[in-house]
Amino acid sequence: MPASSIDTFLACSVMIVLVLSAMVSTSNTLRPSMNELLHRKDVERFQQLAQYLLLNKGVPTNWGSLGNVIPDSLGLADSDSSQPYQLDIDKVSRLNGNNIYSLSYSQLWQLSGVSDVSFRIEIQTLFNLSTTLISTTRDVNDTTYQFEVYAEKSGAPVLARLHSYVVARDYVKSFKSSTSSNGHSSILVTLPNSLNGTVILLTFAKAENNPQIVAFDVFTFSHNSSEPLPNRTFTRLDPLNYVLNVTFTYPSEEVLKTLVFTYNYNFSLIEKSRSAQTVEYSIPRLLDASPMLLVITGINQSSSFAEWSSYPQVPLQIGADFDESDNGAKTVSFSHIVTINEALYEIVTKWSGAESP
Amino acid sequence: MLDNKGQIRIIEAFLAISVMFSALVLTAPMSSTPDLERQGTLRKIGTQVLVKLDNNGTLGKLIESGNWTALRQSMDLLLPAGVVYNLTVYDENMQGVNTQEVNNSNQQGSEAVVIQYLCVTQSSDIHFYTIKLQLAWLK
Repeated sequence: MPASSIDTFLACSVMIVLVLSAMVSTSNTLRPSMNELLHRKDVERFQQLAQYLLLNKGVPTNWGSLGNVIPDSLGLADSDSSQPYQLDIDKVSRLNGNNIYSLSYSQLWQLSGVSDVSFRIEIQTLFNLSTTLISTTRDVNDTTYQFEVYAEKSGAPVLARLHSYVVARDYVKSFKSSTSSNGHSSILVTLPNSLNGTVILLTFAKAENNPQIVAFDVFTFSHNSSEPLPNRTFTRLDPLNYVLNVTFTYPSEEVLKTLVFTYNYNFSLIEKSRSAQTVEYSIPRLLDASPMLLVITGINQSSSFAEWSSYPQVPLQIGADFDESDNGAKTVSFSHIVTINEALYEIVTKWSGAESP
Repeated sequence: MLDNKGQIRIIEAFLAISVMFSALVLTAPMSSTPDLERQGTLRKIGTQVLVKLDNNGTLGKLIESGNWTALRQSMDLLLPAGVVYNLTVYDENMQGVNTQEVNNSNQQGSEAVVIQYLCVTQSSDIHFYTIKLQLAWLK
């Protein structure tokens, strides 16, 4: 074999190796960019879906207040508002599984009209409030309970003004305080020993410098009685269209008080209609940037009860559980600040679906 | 013994390799473009927070009264965890107005975005302020 042929063979081999390695390197270098481009297309689509959900009213536009109506198209925006990201109190409440008129995830998924996308909706207050019973001091005539309230966001303390209400049977008392720079506040509640049964301590917190940022917490404890049973044992409270629908679990139950609380106001609810197992109460449209807490107290045989529900029914979570899913598809989440009845809340929507072709 | 023609072809091949690889090395940084998706999300979050704060005139009131602590606390509550920010307010002449820093951290953020927002006070004496909000994801 001539020497020039060996040289040519060697040169060709080197060229082939070069071309192959160049192809592999180019493909490896460009793959992340290509994937990002494809993923970006999905993200834009999910973002548009999230905005559609929050900026559209749905069909019919007042579907939230029509308890038995399943909308033709899904949208959570308030039908009476011209402001963006203002949500309807009833549409939000119908996302909560505790409401008798709630829509299931499969209904929401069908209404969204995008069969290749799964999603999750979470609505909560902008900061958290928690209540802990610290001590109980019993005297001859009364008992004093000391509570610690803590306001925080992502572990950082929040300066807030607090308004607490204690409700037991037909006893209602309110307290005002505020959290210190470490987010803590102490509340002393003194109850007469002549009183007994389940007691509810409701606490509203308004951010010190922005009255639209509100959080709440409900703490239930027993006073001169056995441990309270879980909420919704004696009644089912379903607020919708400014009407509270109360369904009794036992026929022997007797209502003592039905009240609505906001940060600034509290009122007794006016009975609208009654049947054997249900009562309807009108809920006033209060001009207060605050969620409403609806409380019912009553007696079942010899024991008294106190139960509650919020309106809008937040916090809530509905949709696919992405923490447990393992389909390999990327999950994208979007956070928006929304207004419901003048108060601000955070809505987080999470989206996942088949990758774009 | 190898002849000169063959040697030239091998040298040619090696030259081609060096050209190709240097081209790849030079173009590699282009593939790591900034994460536009995360930056776009930040931009939307920041704009929405400022719009919500300005909806009922709160933003203008806080600036007019020089209540920078309150403005910082409101921003802390409205922005999601994991976002660092720095907010600067300018008047009509683009002179800095805030006498205190309005930010939530001295920590470094990555892929920062800047949002400019025009705030008009809702008081009888109308003022215009330009708000420059720098946002970044916490590293």
